[in-house]
Amino acid sequence: MEETITNREVIIEAKDLSVGFLVTKHGINNFKDFLLTMGIKKLFENKEVLNDLNLKIYKGECFGIMGRNGSGKSTFLRAISGIMKPNKGTLSVNGKVAPMMALGVGLEPELTGLENIKLLGTLMGLTQKEIKDSLNAIIEFSELNDYDINSQVKRYSQGMLARLAFSITVAKDPEILIVDEALTVGDLGFKQKCAKRIEEIRKNGSTIIYVSHHLEDIRSICKRACFIKDGKVLKVGPIEEISDLYELEMAKKKGK
Amino acid sequence: MWSLLTPLLYLAIFTFIFSNAFPDVENYPLYALTGLIFWNFYSNATTTAINSVINSRGVLKSIKVETIALPISEVATSIINLLFSFIPFGILMVLFDASIGFETLLIFIVILLFSLFTLGIGLFVCAFNVYFRDVGLLYTSLTPALFYFTPIAYSTSLVPGQFQLLIKLNPLYHFMDIFRTILYYNEVPSLQSWGIITGITAVFFGAGILVFKKLEKGFISNY
Repeated sequence: MEETITNREVIIEAKDLSVGFLVTKHGINNFKDFLLTMGIKKLFENKEVLNDLNLKIYKGECFGIMGRNGSGKSTFLRAISGIMKPNKGTLSVNGKVAPMMALGVGLEPELTGLENIKLLGTLMGLTQKEIKDSLNAIIEFSELNDYDINSQVKRYSQGMLARLAFSITVAKDPEILIVDEALTVGDLGFKQKCAKRIEEIRKNGSTIIYVSHHLEDIRSICKRACFIKDGKVLKVGPIEEISDLYELEMAKKKGK
Repeated sequence: MWSLLTPLLYLAIFTFIFSNAFPDVENYPLYALTGLIFWNFYSNATTTAINSVINSRGVLKSIKVETIALPISEVATSIINLLFSFIPFGILMVLFDASIGFETLLIFIVILLFSLFTLGIGLFVCAFNVYFRDVGLLYTSLTPALFYFTPIAYSTSLVPGQFQLLIKLNPLYHFMDIFRTILYYNEVPSLQSWGIITGITAVFFGAGILVFKKLEKGFISNY
């Protein structure tokens, strides 16, 4: 098993990756306080969220990332998307990343569903022609009817928002698809449809990175996963081992 | 559409109140209008640019977007609004006996420089506003002061001699001056005026870009 994996093409590789946030050193977060404490030289300091993280993700796999809240999962995803830059180490990403964001991010509430498809599609890096060509497919996949697609997004339910956002993200097979806790609100039928579409995208050669706290979801979609703890990869392996570890870690916390 | 209302209201107020107060300003409505149009642009463009990054933080946290494009697009929107507002304001100016000649076309070069200057200020405040949210509020509070510090409703000749230098320290003064030279006095601005506004634009635009690019790296920590 390991042998076949190592022969495959690496699409994302993190070597001793450290990514951090700036945090205020003295709790100064407005200009007034800054003026009142002019004596202080250094306002911010760096707090590493990811510490010497090492990970390889191979082309065409569906890789799960697990970990407690605040362990650094989202920061790692942002580093992959290029939103956050490494402080130390290297991160090589060999492909275009399509992020599947938290619910409804990037959708403009005052615009209609149709206008939002054009807006979010553009933000995702699709060309005008690509958006036009896939417009019908997006609407069909989202299962929103004519009336809904032409009404303002602020009148949508949570589930409808998720459908629309997911449909736009998967309109074109992305090279790397990031799914971050995005599918938890859809109904069962739509969830299955999403899982099917994700598998289809994977078969077409894309790589999928899936983050979820739902053990069942992640087990049904991913083959391999890693467990991140305190900004480090605690373990990489088959999904069964990692989800067992996840349950173990949760139990450990409870026991304390 | 409604953005035209503010300058028109100011114009009405100024004309009613100040035309008698400043009797030595000839054709006061035209004088006020030629200042108000560009102040309105400046104030709209900076306000929207300053909040552009904060308002889109949700997207910026999840999708890789060139952040600087947001304030730039806000200023671009204001430029388009300004150009469209020339239609009603142009009619109004003709009603106020403005004369239009070839030198009027020079206004577009000044607008280009003025837009870059405005963008520079917008970028500068916008970047600091991500770190400290009250910077935007502070700017909004200071805007009316800047408005009265700039000779828009009054003429500089009314300012006592010892304050003339102070007025000239305001970069907006030089833009207002050149806008009026073209639209109100119908003259071709002197080389010196062109030199001054080009210098101001270069400094503010350059500083805006540099500060924005420098502070941009820490934006993600402050959304």
